[in-house]
Amino acid sequence: MAISLLTGSDAAAHGAKLAKIEVIAYYPITPAFPAMERVSKFIEEGELKAQFVRVESDHSALAAALGASLAGARAFTVTNSQGLLYMTEVVYHTAGLRQPVVMAVANRALSAPHSRFPEQGDAISQGASGWIQLFCENNQEVLDNTIQAYKIAEQVRLPVMVNYEGYIQSHTLEEVNIPEQALVDGFLPFVRIAALDVENPQGINTVASPEFYMDYKFKQNEAMNEALTVIPEITKEYGRVFERDWSGLFEGYKMDDAEHALVAMGSMVSSARIVVDDLRAQGKKVGLIKIRAWRPFPVEALREALKAVKLITTFDKNIVYGVGGALGTEVRSALYNDNDVLIHSYILGLGGREVNEREIKEVIELSEKTEKQQTISEWFGV
Amino acid sequence: MVKKLPVVPAGKAGSAAETPAHINWREKHPVITDVNALSPEVVLYCPEGAIVQEEMSDTFSIRLDLCKGCGICAAVSKGITMVPEYAGPKGIFPVRGDK
Repeated sequence: MAISLLTGSDAAAHGAKLAKIEVIAYYPITPAFPAMERVSKFIEEGELKAQFVRVESDHSALAAALGASLAGARAFTVTNSQGLLYMTEVVYHTAGLRQPVVMAVANRALSAPHSRFPEQGDAISQGASGWIQLFCENNQEVLDNTIQAYKIAEQVRLPVMVNYEGYIQSHTLEEVNIPEQALVDGFLPFVRIAALDVENPQGINTVASPEFYMDYKFKQNEAMNEALTVIPEITKEYGRVFERDWSGLFEGYKMDDAEHALVAMGSMVSSARIVVDDLRAQGKKVGLIKIRAWRPFPVEALREALKAVKLITTFDKNIVYGVGGALGTEVRSALYNDNDVLIHSYILGLGGREVNEREIKEVIELSEKTEKQQTISEWFGV
Repeated sequence: MVKKLPVVPAGKAGSAAETPAHINWREKHPVITDVNALSPEVVLYCPEGAIVQEEMSDTFSIRLDLCKGCGICAAVSKGITMVPEYAGPKGIFPVRGDK
């Protein structure tokens, strides 16, 4: 194993290279582009034997990756924000056609007004698309999740998004342990399943009448439910092989006797860890739930993990207009009939606004001062 | 009971062409009334390729299994008339614009 200084983008590219992707289809967008640049360099230098498909739009990028996947190739693409929105039609196609495409998403705020700064709103907008969504805390996890994503995708036959925040992760150097190729090959064998077969021609994505459409959707949702057990299994296996434990659907940090649980995902998690350590040093019983799998959302396991806490504070770097923070909404819905717990949801850090230990501490203070059950998400820092 | 379906939503090749849906929503279909008045370009105007010119000849035919009844042919060429679809014992479909 070799330790290198890598950005999140580099980590995603290394993950894809180690997974031996065969096709990358890409259309440039900031801040996702360095991942593509790194992959193209791997191909140019002969370290990766893959087809680089240059296309005319983000929509075509995912369409090309989907086509490659239907032909049986291990396919990859990278995008964020407006690119992801432009892909949306094919995002749903890929999930409905059950293709194990993996997409790295360098989360960026959505227009309008135009912004190039980090936020999770782009991934949240695809929450109903049928893609498994993993959120990464640091660059090591970006690399590890990209490798695991292929194994998860190919097992349940659903596409996976690997989310890491633009700039905060995509452009920041961190120490990353790059695993040996031989270990990855052993962890991630490739069984080629091609839907397109010249010997047996068939129409892919033909019209499904009302008689069949609902059954297809039921099966697609079943696959998502299956992922609830498959993701922790694969993460556990990854931990055994590579000696890095990413917990599974979520991680409970200092949750054993916690009375106040913070719930967050993405880059905010590492800041929240420091805050939890500080508050623990002061004798406060605070713990942290790091959501790793945003889709499928781990309702059952989360209810179990949060059953003893008195107060939950959720942190959302996104806004679903007219509803509130997406994570806050999901947590509230997961614990809907638990009347003993206060659930306070906060929206912060939109469009790149600073979220550091100081901001997280202030939110915690606000949340602890609020004694009444909150029914809407509060905006912090406005 | 969930139906047994392929993982990748797919159908037999050509199954969509077996029963083209658009011929069912046709209200009128074209009939060649005067083959001598027909202009050969009409073949190019048909969006469904339903007007066929026989090879090396001046005879034309209309494939009603492809025609969607748009009426472009009758608009661009003489010798073609749009005729309302016959709907069995109920008679002729009332078509908008018909007297």
